[in-house]
Amino acid sequence: MDAQVEKNNIKHVKKDRHLTPWLFVAPHLIIFAIFFLIPVIFGIYISFTNWDLMGSPKFIGLANYKELLFDNSSVFYEQLRTGLKNTFLFVVISVPFCIIVPLLMALALNVKPKLGKFFQALFYLPSLFAISAVVIIWNLMFNVAYGPINNIFHLKTVWTGTQPYAWIAIVVVTIWWTIGGNMIIYQAALNGISKDYYEAAEIDGATPTQQFFKITLPSIRSQILYTVVMTTIAQFNIYGQPLMLTNGGPDSSTSVLLMYIQQNAFGSGQSIAGIASAMAIILGICIMIVSAIQFVFLRDNSR
Amino acid sequence: MYTKIPTVVNSGKNIPDLNIVHAERIKQYKDNNMLISYDKYLGDYPEIKASNYVTEAWNIGDLDGKRYSLPLDIHTFQMYYNKDLVKKYAPKALDDNIVTFDEIQAAGEAAKKDKITGLGVTWFKPNFLSLYAQYGGKLTKNGTDVTLDNADGKKTLEKYVAMYKSGITSRDGQDPAQLFQSGKEIFYPEGIWMQNQVKAAKFEWGMINAPQLSSDLSKAVNWSSSHQFVMFKSKDRDAAKTKAIMKFIAWVRTHSQEWAKSGQNPASLAIKDDAAYKKMGQSFLINTPEEQATMKIFDYKYNGFVADSLDKHVGDAIFGKVSIEKTLQTMQKEVQGKIDKDQANKK
Repeated sequence: MDAQVEKNNIKHVKKDRHLTPWLFVAPHLIIFAIFFLIPVIFGIYISFTNWDLMGSPKFIGLANYKELLFDNSSVFYEQLRTGLKNTFLFVVISVPFCIIVPLLMALALNVKPKLGKFFQALFYLPSLFAISAVVIIWNLMFNVAYGPINNIFHLKTVWTGTQPYAWIAIVVVTIWWTIGGNMIIYQAALNGISKDYYEAAEIDGATPTQQFFKITLPSIRSQILYTVVMTTIAQFNIYGQPLMLTNGGPDSSTSVLLMYIQQNAFGSGQSIAGIASAMAIILGICIMIVSAIQFVFLRDNSR
Repeated sequence: MYTKIPTVVNSGKNIPDLNIVHAERIKQYKDNNMLISYDKYLGDYPEIKASNYVTEAWNIGDLDGKRYSLPLDIHTFQMYYNKDLVKKYAPKALDDNIVTFDEIQAAGEAAKKDKITGLGVTWFKPNFLSLYAQYGGKLTKNGTDVTLDNADGKKTLEKYVAMYKSGITSRDGQDPAQLFQSGKEIFYPEGIWMQNQVKAAKFEWGMINAPQLSSDLSKAVNWSSSHQFVMFKSKDRDAAKTKAIMKFIAWVRTHSQEWAKSGQNPASLAIKDDAAYKKMGQSFLINTPEEQATMKIFDYKYNGFVADSLDKHVGDAIFGKVSIEKTLQTMQKEVQGKIDKDQANKK
């Protein structure tokens, strides 16, 4: 009898053990499913259809992908090419700055200067602003006639309307807006490096540059890997800066893919949700491939 | 809101009893069988009729012999002017109540030496469409396919490019609103709805027709749009609610003063007798039947595609970054490509 009761109890406990982890992850899992998994699956399905958001989606197989990738007479083929080219260009220019500038700031703050906390807060502050507020501020800064930039340097540059200034403006705004997040991560990482290494290196006669490359960088490589991948993903999703600063101009040279996706799906006219979804899936695949390459490359390098 | 409407109407739940939408959207909603006609209910409200509203705003709601919307207002893209600067540089321009492009050019040339801008290069879409229509341009010939890349489109862009090149307009990157507010711009084409911002100016200003090719009022075109009341199909809208809706719309017809105070022109002609309204700047567009006839709503069903394309590309042409020919070709291809996709969806 007792043995039977014990057996039942064990079963009960085992059952609980099965359930407990699920209960812990449930809140995240439910939100993840509702706001990520289901929309992604639905988005993939929509990319195989023709849909104007009003009627019901019409299944057309791979036609959207064929048009986007191979039909050079299609306007959407051109949009994908222009959009992807501009998006990649932005990622290539902005990501190094979004890694190096916060790293330099973290290094500067790491020597615990006077007013360090104040500057830390100041550098972090822009990350808290919405992109629309950020762009309003910078539009004033870049204003041709009244903007402080042109006035201080006695320039007549049309920052948001001519190249390469339009890209410079977009990248500057992006760096200013996103410094904070990576900087905090690097600060935490730098704090974790034992002072012993530096003392030993100094005794061995290592220069500060050697110390940086031989001690500091290797010690924070995981954080660098993480920030490179996350920053790249974030920059692939660029939208607000070119939309509000340049409206994709001049001559579509800053029209990034998300702008085309948004306008096709939710523009002023009828929705072309099928093509827009297919574009979004292609962008998603590009992000995954680039992240995977970065991951493999950086992980191998750091061994 | 426009991205949410189809989803809400398709879901069949929480559909608003009464909605205000832009005139250009109505055809699309009707084609998708989303609207309820007012015909059944108008019998009890004989005052809600064509002769009591601005014709252009009223006609929008009549599709295939049925009435799908009732107008709240008609809002027009016209032109603000700085009274002092007009007196100085274009003293005769306002005599006939129309300022032509030639008069603007002359005023701009005269003002150049004082670093005063003649004309602000403002919102591309209404500026382009208004001039395009004056040249006789049509957005479509068969009701479906777009017609932008043609002689009228070319003339329209050429006019703006020539003015820009001559140096009488605001420059690329300059904010024409800021120039006007600071008293450095004579003419500033903008919507009547911007009045409350213009009010902050520290000089006397007025409102007049958008720039015209001819001083003949019968040939004038002022780009306009209209807010319209529609009822989306909904099983929750019972007879009592519908009755209340009709009562409300009938009440709005004779109580549009508040809407007018926001800068808008009510579509109801009852406002014409209101003393306070007569003093409002925008009332010049409603006061006479001849002026009313200048207001044109571009209700082509692919107007949305055209709008996105104009706003993206026209600036490149005006500011000399892309040739006129290439701009027109790009817009034509972009809009037609989207139309073809939408048409494929309907097959």
